[in-house]
Amino acid sequence: MAMVKSPKKQVNLFYSLDCEDLAQNVALQSPHIVLQNIKWRSFADGFPNIYINNAEELRGQHVAFLASFSSPAHVFEQLSVIYALPRLFVASFTLVLPFFPTGSFERMEEEGDVATAFTLARMLSNIPISRGGPTSLVIYDIHALQERFYFGDEVLPLFETGIPLLKQRLSQLPDADNVVIAFPDDGAWKRFHKLFDNFSLVVCTKVREGDKRIVRLKEGNVSGHHVVIVDDLVQSGGTLIECQKVLAANGAAKVSAYVTHGVFPNQSWERFTHKKDALENAFAYFWITDSCPLTVKAVANTAPFEVLSLAGSIANALQI
Amino acid sequence: MAATPPLQSFSVLHSNKPSHSLLRPSSNKNRTFFSFTSNLRCEIKGFDFESHRGWTIERVSDMSKDSTNSHTNPSSPLLSVSAVTSASQFPTKNAKKVVLFYCAETKALAEKIAAETDAIELRSISWGKFPDGFPNIFIPNAQGIRGMHVAFLASFSSPAVIFEQIPVIYALPKLFIASFTLVLPFFPTGTSERMEDEGDIATAFTLARLLSNIPISRGGPTSLVTFDIHALQERFYFGDNILPCFESGIPLLKRRLQDLPDSDNISVAFPDDGAWKRFHKQLQHFPTIVCAKVREGDQRIVRIKEGDPRGRHIVIVDDLVQSGGTLIECQKVLAAHGATKISAYVTHGIFPNKSWARFGHDNGGHPESAFTYFWITDSCPLTVKDVMNRPPFEILSLASSISASLQI
Repeated sequence: MAMVKSPKKQVNLFYSLDCEDLAQNVALQSPHIVLQNIKWRSFADGFPNIYINNAEELRGQHVAFLASFSSPAHVFEQLSVIYALPRLFVASFTLVLPFFPTGSFERMEEEGDVATAFTLARMLSNIPISRGGPTSLVIYDIHALQERFYFGDEVLPLFETGIPLLKQRLSQLPDADNVVIAFPDDGAWKRFHKLFDNFSLVVCTKVREGDKRIVRLKEGNVSGHHVVIVDDLVQSGGTLIECQKVLAANGAAKVSAYVTHGVFPNQSWERFTHKKDALENAFAYFWITDSCPLTVKAVANTAPFEVLSLAGSIANALQI
Repeated sequence: MAATPPLQSFSVLHSNKPSHSLLRPSSNKNRTFFSFTSNLRCEIKGFDFESHRGWTIERVSDMSKDSTNSHTNPSSPLLSVSAVTSASQFPTKNAKKVVLFYCAETKALAEKIAAETDAIELRSISWGKFPDGFPNIFIPNAQGIRGMHVAFLASFSSPAVIFEQIPVIYALPKLFIASFTLVLPFFPTGTSERMEDEGDIATAFTLARLLSNIPISRGGPTSLVTFDIHALQERFYFGDNILPCFESGIPLLKRRLQDLPDSDNISVAFPDDGAWKRFHKQLQHFPTIVCAKVREGDQRIVRIKEGDPRGRHIVIVDDLVQSGGTLIECQKVLAAHGATKISAYVTHGIFPNKSWARFGHDNGGHPESAFTYFWITDSCPLTVKDVMNRPPFEILSLASSISASLQI
């Protein structure tokens, strides 16, 4: 049976400064992805002074931009590029935003809460439509499933996940047949449990006892197993550490963790590093992807951290 | 005539009296008068969709608009008293109550604006941050502003604060408010909008896009109040979903110039053709000097293109100042050509990296090395804090202009 391969389209990939390493990795995945340069400068008053090299040569070409909104300051300068690229007579425009930042945890608990993730979704929904049609928007493991409905019809969101990278990595472990998956809370279970059909699952839960918030094992058995805690993101990491303690106390042989987005504000990843003087190292492995480039730089070659690159997945997404 | 409109309104009410008397006869004339008014309003509401009542409403509307349309009726003493009472109430009714929110940088200006009138009430916002640096913002008493006219006083002094304030600007119109006004005294223009090459990115246009996408409130599109926008064509950057209102700080300058002891010896200088194009019509009562930048080899030299500064107090006028190099070059040239005093006015004192420090005060007659006055407005709050009480700088506040804009 002859497989008719659809011809691969050539994609010109621009990137923000933070994402240079990831962009280079993506380009290595395929000869059809060509890196392009942007000059990122500032005026004296702090506002961006940006120039897209070879703008006229983009006409008729497929164009993508790899973004990283690591702080409010970076949003405006990258948004200026994102709003400009589709207007250059490009064949199509794809915005790759591996991590969709969710500073405000979208619980409108009170009238008057301001949901900044929704604001960002509005900004992206207003990306000018290129001659080839609306922007494709590639996002990995968005924090909550309902966030997909924040985007207007002028943008085409494509929601991808880093979990396949984790499963592939788990299959390479010497104790691959002894791994169980733990979720730190019901939210993570809802998000990911269907992706782990072939694994035993464990669910933890947070319980309030007086002023304390305690993590308990809600269901599942960890005795003698290598337990991998899975969540979409980590901030300070307090929840993961509490889970690790509970799982170890319930007889886990080893505990590891995976999050797609290692946010780790204020160097909080340091609490996870293997200390030389420690009697036992808490986490056997801590996998993150390269969706948060600042963290990737900070934890490179530091045990227990290991980076699983999204480059292959992004290269595939650019061919859709 | 202040008394005319209420008289006309009353006469319309009066013309409906017979039908009212059928509904509720009463022997007390005074009681009849007041009850009649109250009931008629109720009736208008109740029969909102009947065509003959619609006619009445339209008629009232027409009369209130057209002050020359007179329907004189015999006037009783009671009628006159009512007219006087109504007239005194008109100013209060016309002053629309506005709730004004502000950010940390604009607090001082917001307080000045609120001091201008009782119709403006200040409200605060809780500006927090999550550990990852993203905003954690809360608008207290959000339900309390339903049905109210709401404004937000913004200041986009850096890319970081834009993303802090945009979530509030996008959230406020959705809270069932009567109208939303965004006051952005300085519209930042980091890129000087010359798309000299394909590939240049005009960040001012990006900002205009962000503002053009402010959600439309129940009362209609957002009004955007901004002062002395850098280039006149920038007004066309905004889409039709926002209503830009372009104001100017020049009237404040003109008033200030009138107060000077040598107000009859003032000439206005423009540092380049762009500033002349922007402002010459507003300042046409002053003798005018236009400077120009000329390239001689690698150097850019400022020359006087037209006008004569000899013996005059020269005020250099521009919309904004950055490092101030151009103003200083102008000052040198004007002094060399005989100006007795040199001052400057810019609406927006940006002064990145404390560049205001290079402007000294002449302290009595050295125009070649210093300025007599340097006026700025309070459109750039960070600069206002730095230069307050520091001659030659003087702040001309936009508070009254903004207060007036909020009543439109």
